[in-house]
Amino acid sequence: MNLKGLLKFLTLPLLFFSGMVFAQEKLASGKVVDSRDNTPIANATIAVKGATAATATTADGSFQLRVPATATTLVVSSVGYSSKDVAIGSGPIQVTLEQTNAALNEVVVVGYGTQRRRDVTGAIAKVNSEQLNSIPVPSFEAALQGKAAGVQIIQGNGLAGSGSVVRIRGIGSISASGDPLYVVDGIPIISDPFLRTNQGAMNQNPLASINPADIESVEILKDAGATGIYGSRGANGVILITTKRGKNGKPTFNYANKLGISTYANKPDFVNAAEWLQLRQEAWVNDGKTGLADLPNGITRAQASQANTDWWDELTQIGFINEHNLSMNQGNAKLKTFANLSYSNNEGYIKSNAYQRISARLNVDYNILKTLKVSLSSGYNRGVNKRVPAAWDGGIGDAMSGALPIFPVYNADGTYFTGNANPVRRINETKRREIDNRLIGGLSVEFQPITNLFLKASSSIEYTTAIDDQFESYLWTRFSTPDSGYAKRFPYWGTNVSSTATANYLWNPGKENRFNFLLGTETQEYSRKSYTFETGEYAAEPYWKHPEDYRERRDSLKSAVANNVSEQEAYTFNSFFGRVNYSYKDRYSLQLTARVDGSSKFGANNKHGFFPAAAAAWTISEEDFLKGNKFINFLKLRASYGVVGNANMPSGKYYANYRNGGINYNGDPTLYLNDGGYGNPDLKWETMNNVDAAVEFALFDNRLTGEVAYYNKQTTDLLLEPGVSNSAGTGKIFRNVPESKILNEGVEISANLKIVNTNDFKWSVGGNIANNRNEVLEWSLGPDAVTGGTNDTRVVKGLPLGVNYLVRYYGVDPLDGNPIWLDRNGKQTKTYSLDHRVYAGSVMPDFIGGFNTSVEYKGLTLSTLFSFVIGGSIYENSAKYQFAGVSKKFWNVRRDFLDRWTRPGDVSMYPRFVSDATAFPGVSSEDQFNSTMFLRDASYLRMRELTLAYRFPANVLKGLRNIRLFLTGSNLFTWSKYPGGDPEITRDFENSQDRNLSPNITYLTAPSQKTVVFGLNVGF
Amino acid sequence: MKLNSKVIIIILAVVFTTSACNKFLERPPEGQLTKEEAFADEQGLIRFANGINTLLGDGVFMGGRHQILNELLADHYRGDKFTGDYSEIYKRQNSYFGATRDDYYNRAYQVITRANVILENLSIASSARPVLEGQAKFFRGIMHFEMVRMFAQPYGFTPDNSHPGVPIRTGVSLNSQERATVKEVYDIVIADLKSADSLLPTEPAGGKFYTPTKWAAKAYLAKVYFQMNSFPDAFSYADQVIKSNKFQLDTSYNHRFSEGMSKEGIYVIQNQGSAYAPGSDLRGSFRSDQSPPGFTFTDQFYAVATSKGSDKRKAWYSNTLQAGLNVLTKYNKAFFDLPIIHLTEIKLIRAEAGAETGSANLAVAISDINEILTRAYGGPAQNLPATASAAAVIAAARTERELELVGEGNRVQEIKRIGVRSSQNLDRRGSPWNCPGFILQFPKGEQDANASFQLNPEGNCF
Repeated sequence: MNLKGLLKFLTLPLLFFSGMVFAQEKLASGKVVDSRDNTPIANATIAVKGATAATATTADGSFQLRVPATATTLVVSSVGYSSKDVAIGSGPIQVTLEQTNAALNEVVVVGYGTQRRRDVTGAIAKVNSEQLNSIPVPSFEAALQGKAAGVQIIQGNGLAGSGSVVRIRGIGSISASGDPLYVVDGIPIISDPFLRTNQGAMNQNPLASINPADIESVEILKDAGATGIYGSRGANGVILITTKRGKNGKPTFNYANKLGISTYANKPDFVNAAEWLQLRQEAWVNDGKTGLADLPNGITRAQASQANTDWWDELTQIGFINEHNLSMNQGNAKLKTFANLSYSNNEGYIKSNAYQRISARLNVDYNILKTLKVSLSSGYNRGVNKRVPAAWDGGIGDAMSGALPIFPVYNADGTYFTGNANPVRRINETKRREIDNRLIGGLSVEFQPITNLFLKASSSIEYTTAIDDQFESYLWTRFSTPDSGYAKRFPYWGTNVSSTATANYLWNPGKENRFNFLLGTETQEYSRKSYTFETGEYAAEPYWKHPEDYRERRDSLKSAVANNVSEQEAYTFNSFFGRVNYSYKDRYSLQLTARVDGSSKFGANNKHGFFPAAAAAWTISEEDFLKGNKFINFLKLRASYGVVGNANMPSGKYYANYRNGGINYNGDPTLYLNDGGYGNPDLKWETMNNVDAAVEFALFDNRLTGEVAYYNKQTTDLLLEPGVSNSAGTGKIFRNVPESKILNEGVEISANLKIVNTNDFKWSVGGNIANNRNEVLEWSLGPDAVTGGTNDTRVVKGLPLGVNYLVRYYGVDPLDGNPIWLDRNGKQTKTYSLDHRVYAGSVMPDFIGGFNTSVEYKGLTLSTLFSFVIGGSIYENSAKYQFAGVSKKFWNVRRDFLDRWTRPGDVSMYPRFVSDATAFPGVSSEDQFNSTMFLRDASYLRMRELTLAYRFPANVLKGLRNIRLFLTGSNLFTWSKYPGGDPEITRDFENSQDRNLSPNITYLTAPSQKTVVFGLNVGF
Repeated sequence: MKLNSKVIIIILAVVFTTSACNKFLERPPEGQLTKEEAFADEQGLIRFANGINTLLGDGVFMGGRHQILNELLADHYRGDKFTGDYSEIYKRQNSYFGATRDDYYNRAYQVITRANVILENLSIASSARPVLEGQAKFFRGIMHFEMVRMFAQPYGFTPDNSHPGVPIRTGVSLNSQERATVKEVYDIVIADLKSADSLLPTEPAGGKFYTPTKWAAKAYLAKVYFQMNSFPDAFSYADQVIKSNKFQLDTSYNHRFSEGMSKEGIYVIQNQGSAYAPGSDLRGSFRSDQSPPGFTFTDQFYAVATSKGSDKRKAWYSNTLQAGLNVLTKYNKAFFDLPIIHLTEIKLIRAEAGAETGSANLAVAISDINEILTRAYGGPAQNLPATASAAAVIAAARTERELELVGEGNRVQEIKRIGVRSSQNLDRRGSPWNCPGFILQFPKGEQDANASFQLNPEGNCF
């Protein structure tokens, strides 16, 4: 059946019903709106008092009902609103309903549409604008932490603009990305953290350029009932970002700012120069050596004793936070506009590090006809990241590793000391500026050809130009003249085009049945381009100061070495989807969704995938036996089952990868087969079977609201890149591995309680907690086949994904100070062996969540949010070197390791210090010295937000709409047993697999920011 | 309804145009070729085989890593400065993790697999078919040989060589492959190299020995048989190479690793300067004229190597370039051609194999060793007499081999070969030649792909 036929089929029953008219009747018509904001209420029931005639309102809240000529009163009711009797007059009736439970009636954005909360059958958490803008964060997603049950946000490390790891109900992928799909105003956007791999020990964060002040709401789609409509991209959950749009009213303006400071949340503590030298000598003597220990890089003992450099202090600062936001809203029957201009500059606590964002937004809705609307969504964001090196790349990483306190910053003559790592020189003399310009624009046309049929077509583009400018001064390149520094630039261009067409039809046969049909198609095409080679030259200043020099060099290289633009990454999606919602008596709801996705990422033998899902809900409180119950105001059971996929893998992996060599050999051309490039026509998405069941409730006069949910997600056809036998000679190869299954099963509880709720004084508490059980159910490869990016965690059958697979450290032998290990059978041994490794912990937490409380007295509000993690492990991959810092590794020694063995009889936490880690029996090198000695409890409780705010009363405003002042702190206090600094760890990841498996593995990771800001909001 | 129809038509048009557009779902990465495109004709295979030469010369393989791993296991260098993987290999307790070793192993099997790709696609070749097949078998043969030497106890460790060797790969497959016995590996190595010998040309492409020829196959056969202590065959193949008269000993010790100045090279990876510079990791680890290198000789070996005042090869050592360190100068150049096998080694093989086989071959052996000695000492003063005993020739060949091939990854294989030959422990660090740590551990990935893959015992050396 073609679409036209389908439409005819759908409209026939409507015609049938509309034909069933009675004699001696009159027509009652009108519109039902919400008392708060006059938004229309769809599907409200309109019944004749004392008679059977009834109907429901359409999407725009309007209704028409033929009533007996004698009827005088209509009863208007809707779930979540108190019902109302209205008199039937001669003209249209405007009915305003008061909400009984605001939460039930909030509009929730779902894929390709919206629903009232009460109608939602899937698991969707909503975070509104106010919650999102409560604290300054490096990137908007960090503000979601603790606010949505089952959504784990591990905030980015302390580098400005760094991104968080977001996990929705656990993780079920290994080599494919476990990140959710981000959709802004219906446009699936690029959020890949590996656009520039792991350069400079920092992943990209395209989300940082999104202006949180633009966002009206963020909906987090968690189960297949909600994400099924996104098919092959729904398995990791979907985050829908909806930007603000114009609302009815005269033009109003809002100005908001934040001014404040940032510092580090926690600081690791290292020994000073004198202590380091003493420890070096101690280790030397412990190994039976005599005389004075040698020192690194030929430094003399006298020089070493002089320096005592505190590298951490040298590199850090109090950062300044400065944000301004000016928005405009206007709306009438024809035109609605929202416009926003923003500037923010957030300095990090590391010197020279800052993220600056300039953004502009214009969203316009224009009703050309009553039935024809054109909408524009457009946003321009410019993020400028003044980057600093970190972790293994130096800078603050050096301060925690090889930049020893025994070395000075400067020589006696004032020149930089270059005899060892000098991160001050590095930060001062190498500069890096990443500029991301992102334009997201969407134009949609909505047309209502007949009542209850809505056709929508939209096209959008996300265009990114990204520039990575790097500069090394002559003091870094170590040439003699200032113009012998080196400037280089690496630009890329990303184009993401998508178009969507949907047809939505509402059909309400009788007053008790409501149908909502949606059919749609979507295409998406993404490509990223860049130059083949770097553009760089010797220069005195960076390219960002001399763009004309860049252009000249770029053009000369085009002819000199054929430095052309080529496509680095591209993919396409072509999809069809449909959804049917059916509701009976507002009590029983059923939703069926299906999507067919085709993609250039899939192999020729699996070009298209089919993803069906079903969800149902029973609003028990609408049943007669509970209606009007004083304690139970709302009670709903919902369940869903569906098959969704994960297609978040690199492009082009199924094609064979032969490439002509760039150079000849022996005068003849060459051809190569790249690793992993054997081609795999069977390559496809990961498949996830997803079950969700939940109870939603509102009790005690709607004072206690909440939800308890259970889910069970099983991922099969896992995408895996490593694990091929080395001697196959193919390198890593993307494939769906048979015999693979990962379970994520969990329970989420969220609740809000209004303890006091009077006009002047309000006190509420709320919170959520989620438990996720992750288990690798089926797996045929060995424990080391898959390692986190840098060999840290494992995939083992019967255990959670990303387990710490380590030799167990038992303690210290008081006689000789050597470590005692446990072998696989738990027997003590003093000889280390990698064969003693067992499951020792997991990077997955047992529980995550947050709780908040807010006290409001008149205009004064004090609120706080705590986030917490219970269980799970942190593995300190760099601690083994920090422990062995006075060995030939020559690193800083963390102060907590001073609890060590020094003489026979000592009872200590750590073994004796050694001048070579291989002095411990069985340790083959300091690299292979991983054990539970460095495994920590990852539990923490963090005061994520503390805000004191005052809203001026209306009578003092004098022409202003509102004024709000606030003082907010983020990450102010942290309670944790972790000795290494910040227990919340998002390190620099090598690839998606590393990001999936090693979130709690630290390697010189910079601790997160702590901020205090003062803010002002003025409406006028 | 007129407008409605238009909208519906538009929607239908969108639906059908997108669904009909199957090409939209094909997006091959730019610059990539499919196998069909790559091997459209035999030129594709020729280009592919030509590329393998550069894979061999990379730093991760013959361009340094191969020599580095061999030198670490041997007894010429100080170990106190090594850290990480280098430290554990030096200490002869290589564990199953370590990218230094993994990358090396992976590269060898990459080459083997690429050789197998050629062999599996020979049907598209025409006139170049014999050369392509010969090159593929040459590459596959020498890779299996180098792997079995590094990852298995030597030939002769068990009487029937039934001890575990390395996986043999003769086809392209993602499946795991267990270890073959050492005998089986040597059998395929010899079969491949003999086949290469019969298929490869006598003259190299372009006139220089930058690609494998018959002589490279024969030279490697000599090397393989020599490693097996199978002296008649070693002698025979070395003899054929030498008698081809295509290669001459360099008069200057500065030439073997030079830009086009050596005449010794039987199979050489061509230096192409900034475009392709083989041997990067040799320079990275040994080069001593710019900064202190990672590899410095023990005082003990330095004394051995520089004991004879008239030895011209002393130019390869310095204890003054970097204060307090005994360094190698062989690789003190920005660029050089990288010989994979050269005449000096073949002469030394013929000398020792000639002495081992005796009779008429002994005279050839004496002549060979004297040629080496004459060059080393600038005259015949140190030469052996024409009546020298076989034992004296063998001893001289072994001494000169250690000195000639310093820094080229020769020593540890000699410790093992001679250990098998005469149960002697030559190791100056005191380890028995057959202790487990003298060979490398396999990458753990082999066992993770297949639980029954047998890893090597570790350590237990000095």
